[in-house]
Amino acid sequence: MRRLLLFLLLAAALATGCTPRSEGRIVYGLTLNPTGIDPHINASSELGIPLTSVYDTLVYQDPQTGGFVPGLAERWEVSADGQVYTFYLRRGVKFHDGTPFNAEAVRFNLERITNPDLASQKARFMLGPFERAEVVDEYTIRIVMSEPYAPLLDSLSQVYLAMASPAAIQKWGLEYQLHQTGTGPFIFAEFVPGDHLTLRPNPDYAWGPRVYQHKTAQLAEIEFRFFTDAATRAPALESGEADVMGEVPPLDAVRLQKNPNFRIQPVPIPGLSLVYFMNVTRPPLDDLRVRQALIYGTDRQVIVSTVFQGTSPVACGPLTAVTFGYDPAVCQFYPYDPSRAATLLEEAGWKDTDGDGIRDRNGQPLTLDLYLMGWGYLPDIVQLMASQWAQLGINVNMQKVTYPEALQIAKDGTHHLLPFSSSGTDPHILRTFFYSQARFNWSKVNDPELDGWLDEAARLFDRNQRAALYSRIQNRIMEQALVIPIRDYVNLNGVNNRVQGLRFDAQGWFPWLIDVTVQQ
Amino acid sequence: MLAGEPMLGYVGRRLLEAALVLWLAITLAFVAMQLTPGDPAETLLAASGASPEEIDRLRADMGLDDPVPVQYIRYLTGLFRGDLGISWLQRRPVLSMILEQLPATAELAVAGIWMGTLLGIFLGLLAAIYRGTWVDSLATTLSVLGLSTPVFWSGILMILLFSVHLRWFPSSGRGDLRHLVLPALTLGFSLSGSIARLVRTQVVEVFRMPYILAAQARGIPLWRVLLMHVLRPAAGPIVALIALQFGFLLGGAVVTESVFARQGLGRLAVQAILWRDLPLIRGIVITGAIIYLLVSLLADFLHAWLDPRLRERPAGQ
Repeated sequence: MRRLLLFLLLAAALATGCTPRSEGRIVYGLTLNPTGIDPHINASSELGIPLTSVYDTLVYQDPQTGGFVPGLAERWEVSADGQVYTFYLRRGVKFHDGTPFNAEAVRFNLERITNPDLASQKARFMLGPFERAEVVDEYTIRIVMSEPYAPLLDSLSQVYLAMASPAAIQKWGLEYQLHQTGTGPFIFAEFVPGDHLTLRPNPDYAWGPRVYQHKTAQLAEIEFRFFTDAATRAPALESGEADVMGEVPPLDAVRLQKNPNFRIQPVPIPGLSLVYFMNVTRPPLDDLRVRQALIYGTDRQVIVSTVFQGTSPVACGPLTAVTFGYDPAVCQFYPYDPSRAATLLEEAGWKDTDGDGIRDRNGQPLTLDLYLMGWGYLPDIVQLMASQWAQLGINVNMQKVTYPEALQIAKDGTHHLLPFSSSGTDPHILRTFFYSQARFNWSKVNDPELDGWLDEAARLFDRNQRAALYSRIQNRIMEQALVIPIRDYVNLNGVNNRVQGLRFDAQGWFPWLIDVTVQQ
Repeated sequence: MLAGEPMLGYVGRRLLEAALVLWLAITLAFVAMQLTPGDPAETLLAASGASPEEIDRLRADMGLDDPVPVQYIRYLTGLFRGDLGISWLQRRPVLSMILEQLPATAELAVAGIWMGTLLGIFLGLLAAIYRGTWVDSLATTLSVLGLSTPVFWSGILMILLFSVHLRWFPSSGRGDLRHLVLPALTLGFSLSGSIARLVRTQVVEVFRMPYILAAQARGIPLWRVLLMHVLRPAAGPIVALIALQFGFLLGGAVVTESVFARQGLGRLAVQAILWRDLPLIRGIVITGAIIYLLVSLLADFLHAWLDPRLRERPAGQ
């Protein structure tokens, strides 16, 4: 009996020796404690960092070309009217629980996401004018839209529209979040909310999209932990408690870069740059000259080099420079020019008549209500802005608010200036912020022509035509001085040099963990 | 316990008080959420590009279209059914969300109190025994530092010293006891200040009593005098103070959890409030209130046990 056991053990050892082995373990620091991590329900960017490797998507976006490559769908067709997508699915793929992946699974996922009872915070809206999903045969699915929707492939390439095991979703119900089951290169091994999330390799993973460099996971385990306090991130790397850390504060990044054991991997994030929306309905910002003066009077280079230590570029317009359709021509608007700003304010009738250092008109001082939130180094940025504007004779009432408060203020329109930034590879994101009816139209712009362009751009499939239209949209936004662009978002990832192969997807947030290796 | 009150009446009165406190706590939380600006449905969906109609539909589903009194009644009645509801943000049962965080917070709170009490008593005793000397000044300075240093600052200093440079203790997460040392020390240090000051005052006072002089004159060693004759009578007010501090401790735990990347109710509470997740806020407030009530009850009993005068019925009963 003992001999038999020994023989079996030996055989098992030999067998494992023959298959490719995953080795090593890393700790990956996340920067917020995600508010729920079901990609179909929740909206946090943080959830995609681990889950992009737990799930697969129908298509993948190649960050080099911006084009889409096969994923769970081997190929696809779009009907001439742009309303029907037919996806031909990869065969022989199984979810981590053994459930086969097929057209029925895709239909189940899309119906879950669009079911109002799920109260999806993001995925549902990424599907745009989704009408229905039809199973054509076991490996063919048809997605029908009520109108053409160019961003669909971009949406389907993101983890929010990832394919989850229907059996697992039904089995776990409300607790599915803790038992997520995809088809990806890593298995969702354990999640203790607020403490850690552990991934282990999926031994059955035998394929991968072209964008991956390996066919199987190279690491034996990845543990994610939540470092919400920015000041503790660099120390966690330095003490060896974390091997990779997102959003290292710029000052710490500069220090870490000098240490031979670490490197900083900066990843520019596509999407809406950090902007201050100017409320065009509230005097004095209803005057274009005043809005323009505010941009001319903001030395953004000083802000970027002081607050961000030069780690991120000055933003020129509403889109960051790495976003598809970004038009560099917007950089020609509004170079830092305080005397131009002063002239514009004078023209608009704002002069310092009483000599108190603050401009006034008809006895009213030039005072602006500026709100800020706790994220994105806004408190530091706003201090610099206010001091620059003070030299121009502009007085600022600053108030720090929470996100729900900011939404209420924006709804009531009681602000002059409100900040925001957001990520997304498709320039369709501009519709969320500049469409007259959008809830996030914090500039309160009501420009029927701009609305028309934003609608049309979502229906265009030709990339050149789309880019041209988005260029027109960006130029209009800057001509009208709807925002003060501050900086393009760059995620400063701190990495221990023993970790190799860390690359990020087109969104910039989500690492392709399958390729990561570690020196023991 | 009121003098002469039968035990049953005492327990009944305490339970009634507890129920009243619970009701007040969750009602206050409800009123506070009504008064703070911000619409939960909008908070969840605004950035998604959802249409106004879709946001309106979610608001109706959440029951936020109903008149405030109706919302309040629904908010209360859910509790009587023993149902803490589903979190709006995470779409998970509130009860399981709280239960998975509670042990981490309890562990931190208990360890923090221990650390704070030991440190506080030690500093307080030192200051009292060496009253007026440099030792007193040093101990008093340390206790003032404990009182006045914010936890996020002392926490970072502990990480830099014990974790980055000395590599003695881990600075993040939960696990074995070593993971608990730095967070508990940080929290304990902030707690120790007020305890040290109270201990010093109490001990200085007791030292003046003739029976201490008598004990010392009889040749009883100092440590015995301290333990049996000084600390014992001083313990009552210290226990009462620790119970009082418990509320602040839960507040300090929020920051400590964040600095040391620990799970816990504090971080969950911050999230719930930031996102206006009313069912989750209600669950956390109730949990916090129940814990607080239990702790103060425990402190009362402990106080009575430590101070025999509180147990005795007046003569003639």
